[in-house]
Amino acid sequence: MDSTGPMGQVLSSRVAPLLENFLQGSVLDTSKDVLIHRLRGLCDNAENQPEIFHDHEIVFIMQGNPNQQPMYFHVRHSLIHPESWHVRYLGVAEVGDKNKLTLIRHCVDAGASSNVVDFLNEMGFKIDYEFIAKGYFFHKGRMKVTVSKLYKILQPGSTDQVEPLSQSHLVELSVVAPRVQEQIGEDMKNFAEQLKPLVLLEKIDHKRLQQSLESR
Amino acid sequence: MFLFKLEHEYETLNWPSVLDNFALLSGQLNSLGRLLKNDKVPALRNHVFLPLVLSPDRDAELEKLTERRVMMFNHAVVPDYLRTKPEPEVDEKISQLTSKAGTVVQETAQKQFNNLNKITSNLLDIINSAKEEWESESNQKSSQPVTFSSTDTNNLVSTILFGKSIKVARKPDSSNTQPQGMPNPQQQQKVQSATVSKAPSAIKTQIKAASSSHPYQRP
Repeated sequence: MDSTGPMGQVLSSRVAPLLENFLQGSVLDTSKDVLIHRLRGLCDNAENQPEIFHDHEIVFIMQGNPNQQPMYFHVRHSLIHPESWHVRYLGVAEVGDKNKLTLIRHCVDAGASSNVVDFLNEMGFKIDYEFIAKGYFFHKGRMKVTVSKLYKILQPGSTDQVEPLSQSHLVELSVVAPRVQEQIGEDMKNFAEQLKPLVLLEKIDHKRLQQSLESR
Repeated sequence: MFLFKLEHEYETLNWPSVLDNFALLSGQLNSLGRLLKNDKVPALRNHVFLPLVLSPDRDAELEKLTERRVMMFNHAVVPDYLRTKPEPEVDEKISQLTSKAGTVVQETAQKQFNNLNKITSNLLDIINSAKEEWESESNQKSSQPVTFSSTDTNNLVSTILFGKSIKVARKPDSSNTQPQGMPNPQQQQKVQSATVSKAPSAIKTQIKAASSSHPYQRP
């Protein structure tokens, strides 16, 4: 951090580096409705229909030196509101800490316009992979829960021809905050307990998953 | 002992009683073994046991020691209890079998081994699969329905984070990202400027162009 501190950075760049606390799990498609009902009861705005989202996410990668870790940018745009685009940078989540009840990673969010893909391409980013995510999202206080089904795009460029990736919906619980707070972890853990045994929301070890992918 | 029981009483036996007897036997053998291995007991193998006096009389002390199982130390008792070599009939059978085993050719013996191994492993597989079926059945009846799958969780998270099962043939390309420096941005720009004129579908074709052109592919 520079001498002016995080607030100085935020004020000067107008983009706030935040920490995302999150837990992940999944629910089988057959039990998804039960989960939605339970979430409606637990979260805010119970009387309204749950909000749906239908996003197309493209992940860009920039490989600087071959020795460095590549940098990934996630670009999401909504297929329901085609003019809203969003760029996100995610850090790596460290699992080692047993005290932390949730996974914590850095995240930087920024709104963008539809030419962000051009912009990233010109900067030297390359498309790594893309997928469609469709589902519901709920919020309770500052906690956000999404239940989404991931689809693989069969024809690059056409977001209609899609194929579901698995028989499950991905469930993610996340809170974004400027610094680490114990209370957030407690709240999230309590919420996760409410969803058991339907869904097991837990810290998934991303490094282990990555290693098992690379070892194939 | 166990095999004997199995062979001769198989019509009347049931599994729990067999288990009980087996457990009993193994328990007693264990305690016997422990007693013998006790430090205070000298290694019996090193000692030779010789009958010094044989009397056809009832021996009260012997009776007490053996809990009325051995009444006297006479000529009939000695061959049975002090036997170190198997009985003559048994001995003959053993020698027959060993000579027969010696005559079998190595190759056929090998084949027989392999067959035996195959049969036992098949049996094991059948038994294991039957056991799994039974367990899952009983689990289903007793426990709550499964509503999530951890393998699916891992797959979905890998997909979101690393593009597992989405990244198709791009992997070999990404290893060639090396130093093709200058020519590539120009190549990319040409591709982009060709398609940027179309307005709403620009994004889709953009993505299509970028993904199909493989800018870093070696010519």
